[in-house]
Amino acid sequence: MTENDLTREEPRVLVAVMNNHRDFRIAGEEGWYRVPYERAPSRLGADFLALYQTKAFGEERWAVNYYAPIRRYHIVSRRSLLPDEPDHPRADHLYYKIEIGALHRLPRPIPSRRLRRITFIPTTLDRLLRAQEINDLWFGDAVEEKLWQAFKENGISAERYYPLKEEEEAYQIDFALFCKDGRIAVILEGQTSVDNVSVVREQPRIDDYDLAARGWTVLRFPGLELIESLPSCLDRIQGAVAKQRGLSSEQWG
Amino acid sequence: MRLGFPVKVLGQPGLKSHDTRRWQNRPHLSVSLAYLRDVFVYLSRQDIHMYRMASDLAPYAAHPEMRWFHGQIDECTKELAMVGKMAEKHGLRLSFHLSMSTVLNSPDESIARHSAAQVIAQARMLENMDLAAEAVLVTHVGGVYGDKESALGRFLERCEQLPDLSRRRLVVENDNSRFSVGDISRIHEETGVPLLFDYLHFHNYNPEDMSLTEALELCLQSWPQEVKPKIHFSSPRTGMRVVERRTTGSNDRSLLLRAPHSFQHSDFIDPFQFISFIRAAKRKNLRPFDVVLEAKAKDLALLHLREDLARLAPEIAFD
Repeated sequence: MTENDLTREEPRVLVAVMNNHRDFRIAGEEGWYRVPYERAPSRLGADFLALYQTKAFGEERWAVNYYAPIRRYHIVSRRSLLPDEPDHPRADHLYYKIEIGALHRLPRPIPSRRLRRITFIPTTLDRLLRAQEINDLWFGDAVEEKLWQAFKENGISAERYYPLKEEEEAYQIDFALFCKDGRIAVILEGQTSVDNVSVVREQPRIDDYDLAARGWTVLRFPGLELIESLPSCLDRIQGAVAKQRGLSSEQWG
Repeated sequence: MRLGFPVKVLGQPGLKSHDTRRWQNRPHLSVSLAYLRDVFVYLSRQDIHMYRMASDLAPYAAHPEMRWFHGQIDECTKELAMVGKMAEKHGLRLSFHLSMSTVLNSPDESIARHSAAQVIAQARMLENMDLAAEAVLVTHVGGVYGDKESALGRFLERCEQLPDLSRRRLVVENDNSRFSVGDISRIHEETGVPLLFDYLHFHNYNPEDMSLTEALELCLQSWPQEVKPKIHFSSPRTGMRVVERRTTGSNDRSLLLRAPHSFQHSDFIDPFQFISFIRAAKRKNLRPFDVVLEAKAKDLALLHLREDLARLAPEIAFD
């Protein structure tokens, strides 16, 4: 086995949403952030917490601006976290209380180019400090990273892990491309760090018919094909974009 | 038969086994437990039901000079209990393997004291997770230090000095050059500590010339009836090794080719060796056991072996 992104023990960062001033004050002054125990993301553990600020934050909105080292995780009830809300319907529910150190401002904000739903993003400190936009933060396997790099080099603007909801099930599209006349879902298949070992993916598979019914043009690529013939895969993607009159620069998808 | 693997997850980018920060950055057991919880989510998705936790899960928990870290196990009672509950819910068998720095039989009293403190700390974590007796603490005997009998004697003595709760979790494994299955069987006779059979170590060091199934049976029989035994399985590395060497006194580096050693783990598990081994155990009607796969490809090796077994030996794959 070779040393690569998979095995390097780089510091991990959890990017979490900050959507109100009270919680921002708590993070800054009291040094903690909360996550409901039952709805915690599949990757919660991290060495640092970074905050994606929503529209409540004026000039700092829709961007990651701050991060802090994680000191400790506690599991506590909401009642003990927020004693001034004893009648809250979730007062007895358990929460992760993530204790953090002082908030640091990032050298430059990491904006979200497209207004999309963001919950948690697991990433690394190196990515956090280098990212130019939200999509640079995601941490995929080698094949995903290769395609993302190719998109950037070819000026193809895409949204990574674009969330969809089908009834109660949540899905993510690996790469969503928003065009003037429609939307393209680029989905990678069978890719793992080792091409022929089947690892069950984090997100359930969404049917092409369901995606088509929602107006998506679906392009699926086996990981091996992307590795072996990236230029022809890119041609197919660019062909599909051209058919839909090119990429759209609108903020809303 | 459950298949498990040790510590590092390779099948999903970004999963860490524990808080690896240096002491200056204030690592904490609760951060390790958050990482561990993420690993459990991954294991559940892959239908893997056995896992060896990082021996550094509680950072510096027994470090003699960093006493300010020693309270973390007590501070994390609730978080340990929640992780234990999650393991139970997923039917996950957990264990620790004491690190190379834990040498219970060291002639150096301070190393022996530190080693005992490590055993106690890890056993306390298993207790605080409220895990069943099948969650064990694996150790090797240690060094020979020029006198095997004395070395064995020191191990027995220090084993007896451990608190009950810690000794009850301890199992001792045969190694590849110092203490064979025959040697560790004496530890079981004296102390009742169960024996963990390591397939690759057995093939590398078997001075008693035991047969494979004879040695395996001896180890399996040492476990209490109510606890399912477990063993370690790995295949020897056979590929060429590329070693980087720096020329003395300069920054020049050169790559050397080296033949592998028979005690080195391979990246994946040889399915034919594994199938022959399991079939031999079944033919002898030995006690059922779980298997920790020690391969460099970690969970990927397990997933790959599972596919091989489904194709080559379905009776084992679906056992």
